[in-house]
Amino acid sequence: MSDDNEYFIIKIARRPWYEKILWAGWLFLEIIFLQSALASQEELEPRAAMIYWLIFGVLLLGGFVFWIVRRSRLL
Amino acid sequence: MANKRKKISRREFLKLAGLATSSVAAGTLKPFVEKRSAFSQKKKMMDDAGRAKRPWWVREVDKPTVDIDWGNMQRFDARMAARGSGFINYVGQEEFERLNKVAAENEKERLLKNVPGYTLKDQALAAAQANASTQRRFFLGPQNTKTPAERGISIWKGSSDDAARILRVAMRHFGAATIGFVELNEQTRKLIYSYDTDGKEIVFEDVEEAYETDQKRIIPHKAKWVIVYAVQMSTDALKRAPTVIAEQTTILSYSRALDIQNRTQEFLRGLGYQCLGEANVNGLGIAPAFAVMAGLGELARHNRVVTPEFGPMVRIFKMITDLPVTMDKPIDAGIMEFCKTCKKCAETCPASALSLDDEPAWKVQGKWNNPGHKAYFEHSLKCRTYMKEGAGTNCSICFSVCPFAKKNKAWIHNWVKAGISSIPSLDAMLRSLDDAFSYGAQKSPEEWWWLNLPEYGIDTEQTIDQE
Repeated sequence: MSDDNEYFIIKIARRPWYEKILWAGWLFLEIIFLQSALASQEELEPRAAMIYWLIFGVLLLGGFVFWIVRRSRLL
Repeated sequence: MANKRKKISRREFLKLAGLATSSVAAGTLKPFVEKRSAFSQKKKMMDDAGRAKRPWWVREVDKPTVDIDWGNMQRFDARMAARGSGFINYVGQEEFERLNKVAAENEKERLLKNVPGYTLKDQALAAAQANASTQRRFFLGPQNTKTPAERGISIWKGSSDDAARILRVAMRHFGAATIGFVELNEQTRKLIYSYDTDGKEIVFEDVEEAYETDQKRIIPHKAKWVIVYAVQMSTDALKRAPTVIAEQTTILSYSRALDIQNRTQEFLRGLGYQCLGEANVNGLGIAPAFAVMAGLGELARHNRVVTPEFGPMVRIFKMITDLPVTMDKPIDAGIMEFCKTCKKCAETCPASALSLDDEPAWKVQGKWNNPGHKAYFEHSLKCRTYMKEGAGTNCSICFSVCPFAKKNKAWIHNWVKAGISSIPSLDAMLRSLDDAFSYGAQKSPEEWWWLNLPEYGIDTEQTIDQE
């Protein structure tokens, strides 16, 4: 039995530090736009609410796509 | 004996030590918490003079953001204002009657056609606001409350801070949104009308007590503190401008202001002091000027006050007292600077009565303006004519489209206001964004009748985040 069959070699790629900052920024913006969307609905400003919901959704989708891409690259 | 000695394990020792430490900490915590919360409560709510804490971007300044040439300013004769009977002086009786006839015809036509915002229920609502008030206006106050002398005790005494604080708290409780104080000196006396709106002369005399005759109202020299207060209007209603729905919130604010005036006059009488009020609607002195000097807000392009807390959604009123109170300073929140770029009120004014100039000017538009300050003077005759001929109400579109006319529920609004105050280069972009978000657009008048409104249609907790 050779050594190759006895061991798996697992490589753990560490996320770069700036990626954590990017995610923190993304989360901050998501919170802001979500709050703005909900508050605009309360303020009875439908168009403003719609724009904020749209930005929130696009940002959420962007984050999700980025996460998928990064995840597959890291795998 | 040694075998009987109980040994404790390391875990038990740590548990006991932890328990003992927690008990000691709990014993000392209570007074600390009490002391801390009382301090933070005071710190958060108000200073010694009862001023609510304002955000960092509302700066107190020595000179207001409107340039004033006190040397060239004279006391204004309120009969020259282009409102009420003053309007007739400019357009003549015949034109005034014609305009009234047009207004009545338009009102009837709108009623018959059920025009949204001008239907019978809207008119009935406004009429109810206008006609139901049973209170009277008094220069000297209702004078029903017992004075300290009548109670056989001495008058209330306290520091000027104490006086300002209790007045603020009382007036907030009576319904005022924000309150400020201005000292009457040689300059600020020029903001008191020379003749009141009803034609009575307003005179300063060296007397102990204020009094009133058929010809004049006398203010004692010792009464030299002006109480300036803002009363909120309903944003939900005013966003329906220029309809009757919008107009009725203005009428309501005047009615509430009268209530506040009468109560404050009685409150000060009860303390042993004089309080001189507006004997007529918009009487006594120039409201926006006093509001600017008291730091309630800044003079804006539409020649009204825009406040950091409520935008333009307020009406300003004033009284004079001989109770010494701590003065307030004017503020700079970047509002006047923003007005230079924005111009939204002037662009949307259907009567083209507001100035579209880039910079404010000393030159007045007519005798209805009071010279001596640099402003975007309005053409009041065009404004008043449109109110009668077009809107059929007090219009107020300039109030409703103002980018500062926001409720402060979204955090982003406060950050934008902070940006306006500190980075004027953003003003043009922020104005464009305001349009893109459709903030100034007229709301459906019919929808108003489906809203779950707060009391008086106003949010009494609509203040800017104080932390």
